Amino acid sequence: MTTWIDIGPLDAIPPRGARKVTTPLGCVAVFRTGADEVYALENRCPHKGGPLADGIVHGHAVTCPLHNWVFDFTTGEAQGADTGRVATYPARVEGGRVLLDAARLQARSQAA
Amino acid sequence: MKKLVVIGAGMASGRMLEELFDTAPGAYAVTLFNAEPRGNYNRIMLSPVLSGEKSYAEIVTHDDAWYAANAVTCRFGEAVTRIDRARKVVVGAQGEVPYDQLVIATGSAPFIIPVPGRDLPGVITYRDLDDTNAMIEASGKGGSAVVIGGGLLGLEAAAGLRLRGMEVTVLHLSGHLMERQLDEAAGFLLRRDLEHRGIKVMTKASTTAILGDDRVEAVLLEDGTTLPADLVVMAVGIRPETRLATDAGLEVARGIAIDAQMRTSDPDIFAVGECVDFNGQLFGLVAPLYDQAKVLAQTLLGAEAVFVPKELSTKLKVTGCDLFSAGDFAEGPNREDIVFRDPGRGVYKRLVIEDDAIIGAVMYGDTADSNWFFGQIRDGADISTLRDTLIFGPAFQGGAPVDPMAAVAALPPEAEICGCNGVCKGTIVAAINGGASDLAAVKAQTKASASCGTCTGLVEQVLASTLGDRFTRKAVQPVCGCTELTHEDLRRLIKSQSLKSMPAVWQAGAWKTPDGCHVCRPALNFYLLADWPLEYRDDLQSRFINERKHANIQKDGTFSVMPRMWGGITTPDELRAIADAADKFAVPTVKVTGGQRIDLLGVKSEDLPAIWADLNAAGMVSGHAYSKGLRTVKTCVGTDHCRFGTQDSTGLGIKLEKALWGSWTPHKVKLAVSGCPRNCAEATCKDVGIICVDSGFQIGVAGAAGMDLKETERLGQVETEEEAIALTIAFVQLYRENAKYLDRPYKWVAKVGLDWVKERVVDDLAERQRLIDAFAVSQSVYQKDPWAEHVRERSEQYKPVNLSGFAAE
Amino acid sequence: MDVTLDPQARTFIEVAEVWVPQEGRLVHAQGSYGALDGFAEASARESFAKGEGLPGKAWAEARPVVLKAFDGSYFKRAEAAKEAGLTAAVAIPVFAGAELKAVLVVLCADDAERIGAIEVWAETDGLLMLEDGYFGAAKHFEWVSQHTHFPIGQGLPGGVWAARTPMLMRDLGSGYRFVRAESAGKAGLTTGLGLPVPVPGSKTYVLTLLSARGTPLARRFEIWDARSARVGKTGAALLVDGTCARDGRLWDADNPRRAAAWEGPIGTVLGNGLPLVLAGNPAQTAGYDSLVALPIHQAGELAFVIAWYC
Repeated sequence: MTTWIDIGPLDAIPPRGARKVTTPLGCVAVFRTGADEVYALENRCPHKGGPLADGIVHGHAVTCPLHNWVFDFTTGEAQGADTGRVATYPARVEGGRVLLDAARLQARSQAA
Repeated sequence: MKKLVVIGAGMASGRMLEELFDTAPGAYAVTLFNAEPRGNYNRIMLSPVLSGEKSYAEIVTHDDAWYAANAVTCRFGEAVTRIDRARKVVVGAQGEVPYDQLVIATGSAPFIIPVPGRDLPGVITYRDLDDTNAMIEASGKGGSAVVIGGGLLGLEAAAGLRLRGMEVTVLHLSGHLMERQLDEAAGFLLRRDLEHRGIKVMTKASTTAILGDDRVEAVLLEDGTTLPADLVVMAVGIRPETRLATDAGLEVARGIAIDAQMRTSDPDIFAVGECVDFNGQLFGLVAPLYDQAKVLAQTLLGAEAVFVPKELSTKLKVTGCDLFSAGDFAEGPNREDIVFRDPGRGVYKRLVIEDDAIIGAVMYGDTADSNWFFGQIRDGADISTLRDTLIFGPAFQGGAPVDPMAAVAALPPEAEICGCNGVCKGTIVAAINGGASDLAAVKAQTKASASCGTCTGLVEQVLASTLGDRFTRKAVQPVCGCTELTHEDLRRLIKSQSLKSMPAVWQAGAWKTPDGCHVCRPALNFYLLADWPLEYRDDLQSRFINERKHANIQKDGTFSVMPRMWGGITTPDELRAIADAADKFAVPTVKVTGGQRIDLLGVKSEDLPAIWADLNAAGMVSGHAYSKGLRTVKTCVGTDHCRFGTQDSTGLGIKLEKALWGSWTPHKVKLAVSGCPRNCAEATCKDVGIICVDSGFQIGVAGAAGMDLKETERLGQVETEEEAIALTIAFVQLYRENAKYLDRPYKWVAKVGLDWVKERVVDDLAERQRLIDAFAVSQSVYQKDPWAEHVRERSEQYKPVNLSGFAAE
Repeated sequence: MDVTLDPQARTFIEVAEVWVPQEGRLVHAQGSYGALDGFAEASARESFAKGEGLPGKAWAEARPVVLKAFDGSYFKRAEAAKEAGLTAAVAIPVFAGAELKAVLVVLCADDAERIGAIEVWAETDGLLMLEDGYFGAAKHFEWVSQHTHFPIGQGLPGGVWAARTPMLMRDLGSGYRFVRAESAGKAGLTTGLGLPVPVPGSKTYVLTLLSARGTPLARRFEIWDARSARVGKTGAALLVDGTCARDGRLWDADNPRRAAAWEGPIGTVLGNGLPLVLAGNPAQTAGYDSLVALPIHQAGELAFVIAWYC
């Protein structure tokens, strides 16, 4: 079952920016693209643990602030020569509010 | 004959009637209600009527003769008050009409933003001919119009009112125009085009109230701006008109709920057009409405038909504005962009590809191939074999793969290569044949690519196509994969074309990505704010995290916080405040730095605003220890305490730090002032290092003590402290204006030569003064404590959204 | 085809002719002279050096030129024009970049009834000002126009300037559709065609043709868009706007008519890039007596063709 939870207004995330969301067992980075789409990724770069929510957002990717690994929002895959992957979570915008899939976040916490 | 009643004579019901009468004339006796006192006209052509480029007569779809010929009983100008489903009658203002089948085609109503003053005379929505005529009449008196809403309708209204002689301002809530149909790059070009027509465009503009006593006089924005207005056009959106259906107890979602046969929850009642809701989808463009009309006509005649929503395309009806948008821009796995920009012609094209098919397209300035691309999208055609030349459209397809060189070789001699200096291909070829064998020689002889440099690639291709393998391309390093331009090209382009926003640079520099990357964006952000401090707004999202959060990110993702200590001087109170903050926020490491200040390491992102607020309260400001900007001015104690001191080195250091702090530079800048040649402040390896001597001040620049080790070079010697400060500021400003992003001063000076720097900073007094003045303008904007600003305005952004509790529920 | 619209009404423009450069002089290429045989003969013999006569002046000065009195002027055919009853002329140079392709000259006959306007607007200090114009009997409108200026984007001239395309406006005089509507309405002006006149250098010129119902400047107007940004590099053009006294609207937003290069009169203009004047062949001129088609070369290509029929 999908339970969408409201994490706040879209305006609370700057365009090409991100917001960190703390969940029981870890952090999720919620990104807003230049075209006002939202994506949620695990906030931890698999390389050295960099906080992805603090990276630069471009197109549909974010660059990790520590060593410039670039992650695709839709797949969570590292781009280019780097290999690695971060988890992705369903996110959407409805009526100007950003929604995350609670069930998936719970699944994550149980799995973790 | 069965009785059909239709409520609403719009484009959807009109097309439905045409289909009905064409397929089975005489199947139904039709009664047509319309609240407007007229029959069906081509509503989407109202904009040209507003502008005066079409007449109402030209957009009438069904005239009286047509209704008569099809024996339609017209009840125009009569509102339907309700539907009595039990008795199967429609109740109009002038009486009832029974039906066997009923079609609701009430269309949509304009959305009115709920602000005070929305009911004032002079506030007009834009839906029908009456609205259009009201606007035409209002425009006859001239004056100012404010259009709220920068979507399709709003912009068409703005262009029409401008043609009619009004001063027009468009207010748009989003960051760029037509954000639902266009991406930011195309939105930028559209804005530029409209501004060229004398229309003012304000984005991120939120209306608070419409002001006026008897009629509208002004519009008040959220930021306090007041715009005088004789006419306000509200064009923020539409919503399905569902009142009759709701009152009749039909199932209504956002619109009247229908199935794929256009049937509502009552089997004898149908709905079509903008008033319907099909599987949660609403419809505002004409193409799906016509599809619905066809399906409904079939259904009414007992034939099988299914409505399937298709891809949609948008065109803006403003003469001379050529834009096209279709399909899907939302992202999914494995989607890829192909971007083409032609700065000379103001052209932007973007295709979104998924699984070897085009799923979305945006074009601005060149829509010649839009129908072909739209066809490819609708058909889901496999484009894998066309990929490399796809963006060039059908003319390039079908033959052998096209070599970009062939396109250049095929250009006629009179084709213009360099737009800035009006140099055509023939002139360049003549210069090459006359002996110019490389880019520099062509540039020197013809001036091609000598100004903005965007045609450099083309000039090289002309060289290659003329000289063949005798031409060897000089290896240049573009900024990143988004562009062919080097940093130097980019800085020249920004200055020569007065580019003052990122989208303007992306367009003029033919960026191949929609919005750059982590390599080009920070550089671009610096170049723009350095060249246009007053016009350009610093974009935090184009900065590295250190500069965005005004703190140094550490390898574990925590941050370090370092308050400024002017010239390395501190007080017991400041030290106490630092110690208190370190305790309060459990700072694991406190370190004295080489720059004569104290670093608090290991602070969590969410604690930053609070620790800053505490340090601010003790009178301290950010030390910018994280920035590409002024870091520290290291000093020795100078004449105050030292027996060798020749000047007040600490005092000069403090003055320099107070003058320079807060400025952004291509890379970090560190200064030092030593009170005597013994050089205790290590001034001879700084970006700017001043050594005090008996006769004055020796100013050295371009030292390094990092990856490279290099002694400063003498910029000059001056007698007074004022001159020392002036030279330092002029040097820093020249560096800001000219250096490549992430070049420290020593690298930059090595490229341009110390003599070039001296000429401007030391010898040419007018230029020195210009540099100092330009720096002062920049400091008027940027010399501010980022801690205080972020605590005040942005502290919310530092807090994570806390969902820790929800799992327990 | 059935053409019975005001067959008596005399049109505003009596003569149209095309002059093309040949070995440094402008020579007569085509013309439509109606019954004015004498003037036709005098014209066929003529040629102009750069700077000589009206066509030569338009060439040399690289701007549209209006001439309202022939006697004692530089007009070379003054005698023949006087005999033909022609009193005013407008010369429109057709440039492709720096190259002169042709000069189109139209001549008008003056009397107390004929209403219309051919205006030349030039940009001065960021505004379009009336540089010159011929208005027939529309004296008040002429006065109003002389005292009107257009910021970019406003009115027909300002709209053409901003959009860089020809524009066709309807019902100029119906009270609300035109910046100078009140006076235009009194003068009986109904339809306005505005077009950019690109010339070498940085000057901006806009030409407007304003037509009245009784003495129409033309009975049919067409705007063809030939820009590669709209039709690709096909050499073709789309009919993007048009109005006809007989057929009504000529545009179809969904399925615009298409003209291919070298096919028909518009195709001829698309093919050779020269103005075309055609008369005495109703099959080619939509049933009307004559056709004038004028190409607009802009940004290195043939961008538009405008055509008027009477």
